Amino acid sequence: MSTVVEDTLDEILDRYTDEPRYLVESLQDIQQTEGYLSQNSMCAVSERLRVPLIEVYRVANFYRAFSLKPRGRHVITVCTGTACHVRGAPRMLDEVAGQLGVEPGETTDDGLFTVETVNCLGACALGPVVVLDGVYHHHMTPAKLRKLVTRLRKAEKEAKSHA
Amino acid sequence: MHKLAPLPVPKLSSVAELTALRKELIARCQTETATVTLCGGTGCQASGCRAVVDAVEAELARQEVADTVQVRVTGCHGFCEQGPLMVIEPGNVFYCHVQPDDAAEIVAETIVRGRVIDRLLYQDPVSGEKVRTEREIPFYAAQDQVLLGQNKRIDPTSIEDYIAEGGYSALAKVLSGIAPEQVIEQIKASGLRGRGGGGFPTGRKWESCRAAGDGNGRYVICNADEGDPGAYMDRSILEGNPHAVLEGMIIGAYAIGADQGYIYVRNEYPLALEHARTAIEQAQEYGLLGESILGTSLAFDVEIARGAGAFVCGESTALMASLEGKVGEPRPKDVHTVKQGLRDRPTTLNNVETWANVPVIINRGPERFAAKGTPESTGTKVFALTGRVKNTGLVEVPMGTSLRTIVFDIGGGAADGATVKAVQTGGPSGGCLPLSKFDLRVDFDTLTRAGSMVGSGGMVVMDQNTCMVDVAKYFLTFLQDESCGKCVPCRVGIDRMLEIVTDITEGRGRPEQLDLLEELAETVAETSLCALGKTAPNPVLSTLKYFRREYEAHIEEKKCPAHVCRALIRYEIDEKTCNGCGLCRKACPHGGISGEKKKLHVIDQSKCVKCGICRDVCKFDAVTVA
Amino acid sequence: MIQYVTISLDGAKVRAVKGSTVLDTALGYGFCIPHLCHMPNFSGLGACRLCIVDVVKNGRGKVTTSCTLDVEDGMVVETSSDKVRRLRKNVAELLVAEAPNSRAIQDIAVRCGVEEVRYPFRNKDCVLCGRCVRVCAEMWQAKAIGFVGRGKQRRVDFPFGVRPSFCKMCLSCVDLCPMTITPCDGPMKPGEEYLCGKCRSQLTMNEESPATCVQCDLGKGFGCSRATVA
Repeated sequence: MSTVVEDTLDEILDRYTDEPRYLVESLQDIQQTEGYLSQNSMCAVSERLRVPLIEVYRVANFYRAFSLKPRGRHVITVCTGTACHVRGAPRMLDEVAGQLGVEPGETTDDGLFTVETVNCLGACALGPVVVLDGVYHHHMTPAKLRKLVTRLRKAEKEAKSHA
Repeated sequence: MHKLAPLPVPKLSSVAELTALRKELIARCQTETATVTLCGGTGCQASGCRAVVDAVEAELARQEVADTVQVRVTGCHGFCEQGPLMVIEPGNVFYCHVQPDDAAEIVAETIVRGRVIDRLLYQDPVSGEKVRTEREIPFYAAQDQVLLGQNKRIDPTSIEDYIAEGGYSALAKVLSGIAPEQVIEQIKASGLRGRGGGGFPTGRKWESCRAAGDGNGRYVICNADEGDPGAYMDRSILEGNPHAVLEGMIIGAYAIGADQGYIYVRNEYPLALEHARTAIEQAQEYGLLGESILGTSLAFDVEIARGAGAFVCGESTALMASLEGKVGEPRPKDVHTVKQGLRDRPTTLNNVETWANVPVIINRGPERFAAKGTPESTGTKVFALTGRVKNTGLVEVPMGTSLRTIVFDIGGGAADGATVKAVQTGGPSGGCLPLSKFDLRVDFDTLTRAGSMVGSGGMVVMDQNTCMVDVAKYFLTFLQDESCGKCVPCRVGIDRMLEIVTDITEGRGRPEQLDLLEELAETVAETSLCALGKTAPNPVLSTLKYFRREYEAHIEEKKCPAHVCRALIRYEIDEKTCNGCGLCRKACPHGGISGEKKKLHVIDQSKCVKCGICRDVCKFDAVTVA
Repeated sequence: MIQYVTISLDGAKVRAVKGSTVLDTALGYGFCIPHLCHMPNFSGLGACRLCIVDVVKNGRGKVTTSCTLDVEDGMVVETSSDKVRRLRKNVAELLVAEAPNSRAIQDIAVRCGVEEVRYPFRNKDCVLCGRCVRVCAEMWQAKAIGFVGRGKQRRVDFPFGVRPSFCKMCLSCVDLCPMTITPCDGPMKPGEEYLCGKCRSQLTMNEESPATCVQCDLGKGFGCSRATVA
């Protein structure tokens, strides 16, 4: 199994056909390729892996790695682990709440940003940590976060006007 | 990555072939004149070590010394806040905060001419002096890096490095004539206890599992779900030395009689996942996993499984449920998992650090292992020392070291001129211990008696700016979020405890609530189905025990002594100190500060959410909180 | 061939069928251990924690749920020790504070000795006992409903929140739901919930003989083992 999954839904389902024990793995692969779990893909998994539909739905709702709605183009993940917490992680959430108007788990109306929290990334000595589109940023402050988000917004605007 | 040309992969079909290979690999290493080691752990990656590696390799080529210099990117050294880290041999020169632009000078001065660059040296925050070599770094020198030491010398993506360092010699020793029962006796004699938090005697666990077999196969599992926030020892070991974990598992499988193993890695550790996968592939290529390991009759293979974001899956029965493709709901442990575990088969589940200690015990012998630590808690333990302390990072010390030694001598004491108030150990299952208890020795039983626990090894240092009631609220919130929700005491009990603590932090606390909190805590601890619920009351109970006055201040005076609880504090701008620079106005995320240039700025209390960002950015200390 | 073991139940040595649970054994002998999520002939969930007992096995004592505990030879079980009664009362208090609008749960709370509720009442219409889920999955094999969500968000739901075609509207789930019986005076108004306790007159025996069946509302129609025996 490769680390980076860029297979189609069919390729993923082929890999796990008739193997109910790979339910979590298959949904992880789909989440990575498609960015979220659609009703369609969950029904397909139920059929191909021979797992009752309610079980697929349960697993999709239980684990935080899965989102049942499409996420924004940019995912901002704020670490809220203990070490980051005592170094001021709540302020990052205040910052995005003010700047973007969204709470953790929500996506901005323009579909650009999704804010999520994670309960520890294991980079505790460098806290507060914020991950932006898979890139780790350390020793974050609300001001640095504001700058990053503003820069991204600007880039998106420019891309749009060029299109 | 600059590497020596790989040898053609031989499937090792005997112990003798492994020994011969090791000799050959060691001989090849001796042709280098210099080695540049860079830490490639997650922390240093976040600090940009990749760019430094590229720059160094480019410079070595440009300055035409690439042929005799080995560049090695290793696993996590545990000193993350100082990264990117670099060690140069010969000379054992230690550089920290290395940037790509430094590469040219490093190659020209240190590698070619053997001269040290002063500005890249580590400055000890306690003594103020510059330290030249890695060996002399006080943070490292005070540790006993039995496990972490290997991280510094091994490229985790190279099985050859591991073998050259002596890797798989414990397996070879075992397969050269030690009976499985004898291996179990050695683990028992070592006194090794589970490093994941349970502290259960490992040898006894293996023995029960072996005895429970009925001929239909057993499983071994490595629990790499490290969910305790603030703990990253397992990340560093699995990322930095995955073969040590594998070797431990293979030895365990041999001793117990298992034919299949799993490493369950939380998906928040992508680098550990990648390195573990690579290690398994390499071990399979070399005949160290699969059928007929090293030419013997031992057949054992390992599969990787990914966690999907659930702290409860660190609990063994929930982890096994997840491995079976189900939701991570724990089940009662009236029949232990060593008898009926994964797919109802006898299963031995151990933590990453526990598995990594196995080759150490076999190689050095159980007596040498047991000579460190205390009689009841033998060996060394890796701790993650984080929070409001000067030297944050991974600390490996013998069990029985005092909290004071760890926090002050190794950790350097409080950061930013503050005063240490408490240390939180054991993650959400553990408790907070006050400064007055810092002479306590850190071992499984001592900390548990004091109301906390060693847990997986997380240690978060707190100072006078930390509110202990807020800490209790933080952990209850965490556990409420992570509870699977099946049983009433955990799902509802934690929620009600949080309701009470929230009342207290928001000024609605009543004295009788403290008694109710204690009674509810006992109920949750005694009646919850699994360890998540059973240990959930610990943060509340320990803070009540040692910091009751903070609770009382919140309840009786409606004040938060540490100025943290937002409902009980008020931010104001002091008119004498404010010079109207406007920094706070720009920084406020809710537009709650107004004022003209060079004139006094004012906080609109109706908009203020007490986040404290204004106080952080003010350069003149004009923002007060009371 | 049925095999038997001997266990001690509140001091009495009784013969138990190997493979049965402590709860089923106790109920079969007329010992009432309060329970909510247990249903005879269905899998034990261990969710409500009301059926907890003190058990000593191989010299080790612990508190655990009797519905998930298989009998073992030599086991010593205390169903109503002071400790267990105190813990059970606190659990029942949590339950009735969540859902006071259920006659069955009110009965159980008083049966477990709850006299005052020290938490603000909530008015949930589901206590996640899992009776509905198990009857759908284990009796009818339909699996049309299940526990969805984690922790506080846990709820019983259909896949995607929509009743699937393979739900045949058998209404077994409704039949077994403890929430479908209202207190004798009718549903409580939100904000005016209280611990009813009127059935206390039936429960005076509770203090003297805690293991006696009191014909609580859970038994009358929800398939409590006692109801089938009586």
